[in-house]
Amino acid sequence: MSALARPWVRLAIAAAAGAAAAGAVAGLLALAVIYGGLFDATADTPHIPVVAWAAHNAFKTSVRARADQAEPPPALTSDQLLDGVRVYDANCSACHGAPGVNRAGFAQAMIPTPPYLLDAARRWDRRQLAWIVDHGIKMTAMPAWGEVLPKDRIDHVVGFVYALPRLSPMDYARLRARALASAPPGRPIPAALAPAQPRPATPASGAAPSGPPSGAPPA
Amino acid sequence: MTRLARPALALLAALAVLPGPAGCARAPVSAPFGDPQAGHIVMARQACGSCHRIPGDELAIGRAGPPLAHMARRTVIAGVLPNTPDNLAHWVQSPQSVVPGNAMPDMGLSARQARDVAAYLETLE
Repeated sequence: MSALARPWVRLAIAAAAGAAAAGAVAGLLALAVIYGGLFDATADTPHIPVVAWAAHNAFKTSVRARADQAEPPPALTSDQLLDGVRVYDANCSACHGAPGVNRAGFAQAMIPTPPYLLDAARRWDRRQLAWIVDHGIKMTAMPAWGEVLPKDRIDHVVGFVYALPRLSPMDYARLRARALASAPPGRPIPAALAPAQPRPATPASGAAPSGPPSGAPPA
Repeated sequence: MTRLARPALALLAALAVLPGPAGCARAPVSAPFGDPQAGHIVMARQACGSCHRIPGDELAIGRAGPPLAHMARRTVIAGVLPNTPDNLAHWVQSPQSVVPGNAMPDMGLSARQARDVAAYLETLE
């Protein structure tokens, strides 16, 4: 009786052949997607649910795995927190909004769309927030702010985002007014020295997801 | 007679967007109040899920605002408005005019988008 006749050997050979065939088919499919244009790279067509799920969860585990090795962020003074408000106002609020303040009109055309951060601190700890801000997020519009902002200012803005769940819209407006009014010389002041006002409502007619936009102007 | 006709029509319109019995499919595009599917897309584009949990959307896990489950069965919106499709559309279009200083910003929705969002929320039994 040869070795090939043993049932478990035949089973192993069949399994290996099956795996090789499946691998070859998967490879051909991947080539078809890459070279055949099967993947829809347009932003306004959402990922199919399984891809959205995979991308989002890969992002979360990636941040946790890396940020948890990072050094804990430093404790901040109130002046440093005010600087965090300035950084937020200049770089973040257009895409992420703020308590009681909506995002710029273009943010709804960014897909995946940038989230409001009112409870981001309930989902991420400070090290993770700092990691995201510092390094950005692949295949989204989140910039790697570490490329353009000094490390201390990233710590400042992360400290502010971490405090967001404890701020009412009124608190935020007051804090922002104070932060912008107390900007040290040499630090850019991005907007008028005024409390946060909701942005003017954009008609968003171009962003109506289906059909022609209605003629009615927004209230 | 005509004075009574308008509220009656409004009531009929409101009844028309209420979901039918289970298993009875509604035609979303021709719904008189708004298009729930379009409303769902508007909600995704506006990042509603970053502050609200939304049934069926596992990325909508926000806890800054209330979860949107059972919106169709709520009696009151934001604690002050009776839950009707018109009021819901008004709320999502200009929450700051209903409860000034609350954390939900006016999102800049068009009237049509607001109706679509309200129509979607009214499907959440």
